[in-house]
Amino acid sequence: MALLQVNGLQKQFDKAQVLRGVSFTLEQGQVLAIIGSSGSGKTTLLRCLNFLETPDSGEILVGGKPASRQQFGLVFQNFNLFPQYTALENVALAPKLLKIGNKSDIQTRAENLLGQVGLADKLDAYPWQLSGGQQQRVAIARALAMQPEILCFDEPTSALDPELTDEVLRVIRGLKQKNHTMIVVTHEMAFAKCVADVVIYMADGVIEEMGTPEEVFDNPKSEKTRAFLTRRFDAE
Amino acid sequence: MSVTLQLLQGFEETLKVFALTLVFSIPLGLLVCFGSMSRIKPLRWLIRGFIWVIRGTPLMLQLMVIFYGPGLMFHMRALPRFTAVIVAFSINYACYFAEIYRGGIESISQGQWEAGQVLGLSRSQTFFRVVLLQVVKRILPPMSNEIITLVKDTALARIIAVYEVIWAGESFIKSGLIWPLFYTGAFYLVFNGLLTILFSTAEKKLNYFRG
Repeated sequence: MALLQVNGLQKQFDKAQVLRGVSFTLEQGQVLAIIGSSGSGKTTLLRCLNFLETPDSGEILVGGKPASRQQFGLVFQNFNLFPQYTALENVALAPKLLKIGNKSDIQTRAENLLGQVGLADKLDAYPWQLSGGQQQRVAIARALAMQPEILCFDEPTSALDPELTDEVLRVIRGLKQKNHTMIVVTHEMAFAKCVADVVIYMADGVIEEMGTPEEVFDNPKSEKTRAFLTRRFDAE
Repeated sequence: MSVTLQLLQGFEETLKVFALTLVFSIPLGLLVCFGSMSRIKPLRWLIRGFIWVIRGTPLMLQLMVIFYGPGLMFHMRALPRFTAVIVAFSINYACYFAEIYRGGIESISQGQWEAGQVLGLSRSQTFFRVVLLQVVKRILPPMSNEIITLVKDTALARIIAVYEVIWAGESFIKSGLIWPLFYTGAFYLVFNGLLTILFSTAEKKLNYFRG
């Protein structure tokens, strides 16, 4: 059975129908990349998965049961680190407040996670002392600290200078090797192509095309997908 | 020397009004603030209307209404003078603080709340452990302004015959002395100087983070 099943998700804001029935499944350990132009509903989809928006209809199942917030983690476009806490405190705060394990375990785990994202030497740095790429890596460690079953990324590199995107993408690639299930909303076509197991192209609130990177990027079936990809690769 | 003693007595009352007003209005302001940001529309408008009335009328008028009002309107016994001063000042300052808090809370990006939410924190955990300190940092300058104003506003207490330092100074005019009045000014200056130092120390303490 698929780890994640999304069935017929719909969401309307005022008069705008942002999601018009989105359904897909994702297997344990797979990486799903969601691409599409802005306004296509991809961020709203991610926000519904993370309980930041309540869908008007449709269901989200994890392991066959209705999903709970704790099963998802989210890394934001703008990091949203807590400025008054050090990198280590940012990672350890939620586990401490929610009492996930004892204090010293939480501390050790937070240190390990920061080591895993390459920031073992920045444990005591405050967010303003870190570059954008480093801040985003702290945010990834912070999300991992809650041990989500599915880790989501909302355009994780869009707020970064080009020379800083690689260090973040490298971390995501590392997580894939550790068999993390991930959903990445991204504009980085090259990244989606080489890291994703499944690619979804969204347009106007529906999944226009879904398949392996080869299928979607090299042999798109839909005219819309083809047009989008042409525009994208021309831009890059 | 006797002038100094008498002014000190007056200033003691001034300080009492100041300190008690702060003790009550700072938390009361938070309640008023939450009310003015409530999702329940009638409550929100009620509280905003209340803030409008309190900020829109003179504190001196509010003092008189709270002291004389219960007796003249409802034939109730008046509050003791000093209590009436504390009640009027606390309500008045709570409304000003509430607006400062609201500005501070609304200036925190939605992303901070959402980050707390996706990590599984409750709204109150996010408020107290994530948002609050950032709000405190942002509202320190307007709060220090308001608090320094409060030090000087305490002089209004005399309108319902609560003794304070200016009254003490003024009583020497009968004896042909003007300098005790200037002297009262020195009390205010020294005290506000101390407050200024206190606030700038607090601001420096919170300089370790940005946001």
